[in-house]
Amino acid sequence: MKAIRAVVHEVVGLFVSDWTQTAVTVAIIAAAWILIPRFHYAAIAFALAAALAVQLIVATGAEARRGRAATRKHGE
Amino acid sequence: MYTEILTFGAAFLGSAVESVEALTIVLAVGLTRGWRAPLLGTAAALVALALLVLVFGQLIVARVPELTLKLIIGTLLILFGLRWLHKAVLRSAGTLSMHDEEKAYASTVNALEGSAARQDRDVVGFLLALKGVFLEGLEVVFIVIAVGGTGGRLGIAVAGGILAMLTVGAAGFAVRRPLARVPENTLKYAVGLILTSIGTFWAAEGMGVSWPLDFVSIAALIAMFFVASQIAIALIRRPAVA
Repeated sequence: MKAIRAVVHEVVGLFVSDWTQTAVTVAIIAAAWILIPRFHYAAIAFALAAALAVQLIVATGAEARRGRAATRKHGE
Repeated sequence: MYTEILTFGAAFLGSAVESVEALTIVLAVGLTRGWRAPLLGTAAALVALALLVLVFGQLIVARVPELTLKLIIGTLLILFGLRWLHKAVLRSAGTLSMHDEEKAYASTVNALEGSAARQDRDVVGFLLALKGVFLEGLEVVFIVIAVGGTGGRLGIAVAGGILAMLTVGAAGFAVRRPLARVPENTLKYAVGLILTSIGTFWAAEGMGVSWPLDFVSIAALIAMFFVASQIAIALIRRPAVA
C-alpha cells in the first residue's frame, strides 16, 4: 500500500508542483480549447503560448517572494 | 527529418537527466553494500519500466484518435515542461539551491551506513535500487511516450531514451562516482523549454490549429518561452524596492 501511494504521489508530482499554478495553466488551456475551434486562428495559439509564458513569470516571481518572506520570518 | 531529430533529442536529454539521478542512488547502494542486490534491483526496475512503455505506448498510440492524443499529451507536456522550467528559473535566479549529486550521494551513503548489516540476500540494497530507478524512470517513460506517442515516432523516442540510459550508465560505471559535473540545471532548463514548446504546439494542433510553417513554429515557441524565463530570472534577481 505504501509503495502504491509512493508511485501515485510520484506520478501526480510529474505534472503538479504547485496546485494554483497547475489550475491557472489548465484554465488557460481550457480557454484556448473553447476559442480555437470557433475561430481557427493561429494567432489564438500564439496567444495561448504567450499566456503560458506570462503565467511562468508570475508564478516563479510569487514563489520567489514567498521564499524570501519565509527566510525573513525565520531570521527574525 | 527535423521532427525526428527533435523527438530523439528531447527523449535523449530528458532521459539523461533522470538517469543521472537514478545512477547516483545505484552507485551509493552498490559502493556501500556490494553490487549484486542493487544491480538486480536496477534490472527489475528497468523491466517494469520497459513493460510500461510497451503496454501504455502501444495502447495509447493504437486506441486514441490522433487529434485527441495531441490535445491530451500536449496538455500533459505543458504541465510537465512548465514544472521543470519553473524549477530551472528559480535555481538560475538563486532562489532554489542547485541539485547537487555529490550531496545526494553522500546522504544516501550516510543513511545506508546506519542501516542493518549486509546479508547474503540484501533486501535493503535491492529495494533501494528498485525504488530509486523505478521512480526516476517514470519520468523517462512519460517523456518517451509523450514525445514519441504522436506521429508514430515511439521507436525514435525509445531509442533516444535507451541511448541516454546506456551512456549515463557507462559513464557512471567508468568513474564509479556520481556524475556531479553534468550541468543538470542547464539540461533541465533546455528540456523544459523543448517539452513546453512541443506541448503547446501539439495541444493547439489537437484543438484544430494549423501552425504557420508547421513544425518550424516550435522554434518560435522555444524562443518565446526562453525570453519569458529570462525575464522571470531577471525580475527575481532584481533587488526588492523598500
